[in-house]
Amino acid sequence: MDISRYEDHGQFCSGHAACGGCVEALTMRVILNEIGPDAVGVVAPSCTAVILGGYPTSSARIPFIHGLIETAAAMGTGVKRGLAAQGKGDTTVVCFAGDGGTYDIGIQALSSAAERNEDILYVCFDNEGYMNTGGQKSSSTPHGAATGSTPLGKATVKKNLIEIMVAHRIPYIATASPSHLADLAAKVRKARAIRGMKVLIVVIPCLPGWGVADDSAVRVARLAVESGVFPLMEVENGTTWRIASEQTRPIDAYLASQKRYRHLSDGEREALQAEVDAGFARLKALEAINPG
Amino acid sequence: MNKQALSPLWTHLTSEGNRTGTWRAALPRYQDQPSPCLGACPVSGRIATWIGHVKAGDLRAAWEVLCDNNPFPAIAGRICHHPCETACNRAKLDETVSICALERHVGDAALAAGWGFEAGPERGVSVAVIGGGPAGLSAAYQLRRAGIAVTLYEAREALGGLMRYGIPSYRLAREVLEGEIARITAMGIDLRLGTGVADAAALEALAGAHDAVFLATGASLPKRLPGLDYGAGFVVDSAAFLVAPEEEQKAMTGAHVLVIGGGSAAMDVARTARRLGRRVTVMTLEPEGQLPAQQVEIEEAAEEGVAFITGAMLKHAEGGETVTITAVRVRFEPGETRGQFSVSEIGGSAFSLTCDTIIPAIGQDADLARWGAVLGADGPVVGRRAGRIRAGGDVASMERFVTHAIGMGKEAAREIIAELAPDAPLPAPLPGPLVGYARINTAYHPGHPRVRQPSAPLSARLQSFAEVQQPLPAEAARREAERCFSCGTCIHCDNCYLYCPDMAITRLLPGYEVKTDYCKGCGLCVAECPTGAIHMQEDVP
Repeated sequence: MDISRYEDHGQFCSGHAACGGCVEALTMRVILNEIGPDAVGVVAPSCTAVILGGYPTSSARIPFIHGLIETAAAMGTGVKRGLAAQGKGDTTVVCFAGDGGTYDIGIQALSSAAERNEDILYVCFDNEGYMNTGGQKSSSTPHGAATGSTPLGKATVKKNLIEIMVAHRIPYIATASPSHLADLAAKVRKARAIRGMKVLIVVIPCLPGWGVADDSAVRVARLAVESGVFPLMEVENGTTWRIASEQTRPIDAYLASQKRYRHLSDGEREALQAEVDAGFARLKALEAINPG
Repeated sequence: MNKQALSPLWTHLTSEGNRTGTWRAALPRYQDQPSPCLGACPVSGRIATWIGHVKAGDLRAAWEVLCDNNPFPAIAGRICHHPCETACNRAKLDETVSICALERHVGDAALAAGWGFEAGPERGVSVAVIGGGPAGLSAAYQLRRAGIAVTLYEAREALGGLMRYGIPSYRLAREVLEGEIARITAMGIDLRLGTGVADAAALEALAGAHDAVFLATGASLPKRLPGLDYGAGFVVDSAAFLVAPEEEQKAMTGAHVLVIGGGSAAMDVARTARRLGRRVTVMTLEPEGQLPAQQVEIEEAAEEGVAFITGAMLKHAEGGETVTITAVRVRFEPGETRGQFSVSEIGGSAFSLTCDTIIPAIGQDADLARWGAVLGADGPVVGRRAGRIRAGGDVASMERFVTHAIGMGKEAAREIIAELAPDAPLPAPLPGPLVGYARINTAYHPGHPRVRQPSAPLSARLQSFAEVQQPLPAEAARREAERCFSCGTCIHCDNCYLYCPDMAITRLLPGYEVKTDYCKGCGLCVAECPTGAIHMQEDVP
């Protein structure tokens, strides 16, 4: 059970343009309030950019630079170094991007920044597709999920960004979920205190993109965690693994909670279950040989 | 900062100027709604509310909420048939909450602390209550709280009715009974003990002397069993047996007692006889599993060595050195309403057995003929009345439950209060449908098994009339209270506030308010409410 308590300091404002019930806005609320006022943000084109923007207004109390989709990590690098040159090295620099701007289009800039161990907090709002442009697949779209460009279900598996980032040996990688807000806040707090590159991947069940009811995105995210589809985990320095969530239920309820899986046959569902089980077992094995 | 100095590329307004509330079709509404336990409760108790106070460790507040509807929590916490637990939503997750044991926990704490009731400011009107059992005492208590003078007529020498004269002390300790009754009489009641009301004419006279009358004389005429000679020396009346002192009970019974009936009274007779050292057999028309007594009573009777012959009907009893009875196996068909049934004999199933004493305990009827001229042939019911006279409890209902009588006494009193003292405060009933399991977000209620109520060791039980059911230890009670879903009751957990993606919930102290300028009507707050205390309502401008 997650105790959802965190403190709200008004760092994220009402009146933003997110769909009603969007948990991307909810997680932005928690992250921005946890980061506080001494921060500068950069954002790649994404739902996040839409929720933040609408020139000349902003829903964030900290300044955000809106850049090109492949540049989130590069912008963050420049802003951080510029601030450091002005003697403001304690100011947090946070990069917001979607999975398109992270797994696909922005991965070169992300990999470079990670390799240089830039002192930025990179947050990927992972809704597993290009949901802002009408719901096309990205390399984060999971196996079997239907999107506008994979109407019969994606034939390949979701790209494993966690292990890609682990391979860079950066100080901190974590996953988080809008169903576990206190956990999300704690991870942001921890990341802020770490010097160097931090990557946080947050699962965002997309209401129109996944086919989820307006009031259900938190429930779907909780099912993703509990079924082991999206485990809550942390990896420090590429060598210390911690898998905090347990696999406590089969994936049936998770699959049934969204329209993007409803075309699956029984056999395909069983195959997905086997994939999830194997993935979770692999994580536990990695944790066992890389204990905290 | 000077806005003029900013580059025109900088944003200088927040999004708060956008009234996203205009997107909305429905608005969350905070409204406590009745829990299923409340719906099943014979006194309509605010169970989720008082258990919330137990969780918070405030037993005084819990007791006050309990006593809005029932002045006998320590008694009800021992003997109520607790339909609340059958209705409890938690059964669909793991096991029902031990509501009855928690009620006893609160009731016992109140007795130990000596908390008392206060009468309301006197209103210059008076009501005669006839019968000092659970219904009459419940009505008298509610009337006194509203400041209405009460004259209470009780035919016997002590108050309590069935609670005193029908329920043995191993189920309801006498100091508990005395304590909860004394608290009511301390509110200032004109007590007329040993003063029965003889007939319809006397009732009419009382109606003339008071502003209203509440009739709660119970049901005291034993039902008769065909095939049994009630004049025979080996037949003992169950009510007379239960009310007799221990020495007399011993004199009334032989070595092997046959109790006929499957209700609470039959169990009370059987278990009392076991405590006298008698061998006891209970014979019931109902098959196993359909006995009207509470399951726990049947289980405890069996533990104490009571033998059961279920699905059988007495045909004949013949006295002699010992008593020989003949009986036959029957098929039992329950009827539409409680107490109604039909039986058919199974051919060739006759059998006989011997015993020394037969105690039929098959229920009692109300003496309606006595009031017939006033109340009409088909009997009085709450809400139906003859002039200033209302009736409640067993005289007006076939539900033979103490708490049902307490509830009827309360309802009748509230009707009288509404009429005679319309400005006296009365608690408003919770609106809306019962909160079903689907409205509980079980992610916030981790599985946890029900706390077992301890009972006295079997070896000690048959040695005395001391209470069998033991109190919950304080820590166990608090843990059990934590298991309550608080269905339909806001627990101020802040989930609605924290889960709102639009910051559209304001925390008040206490409670919450929706900012209609920004609420997009998504319903996340409702979905993430652990207790079902919020619901969406269509928002028509």
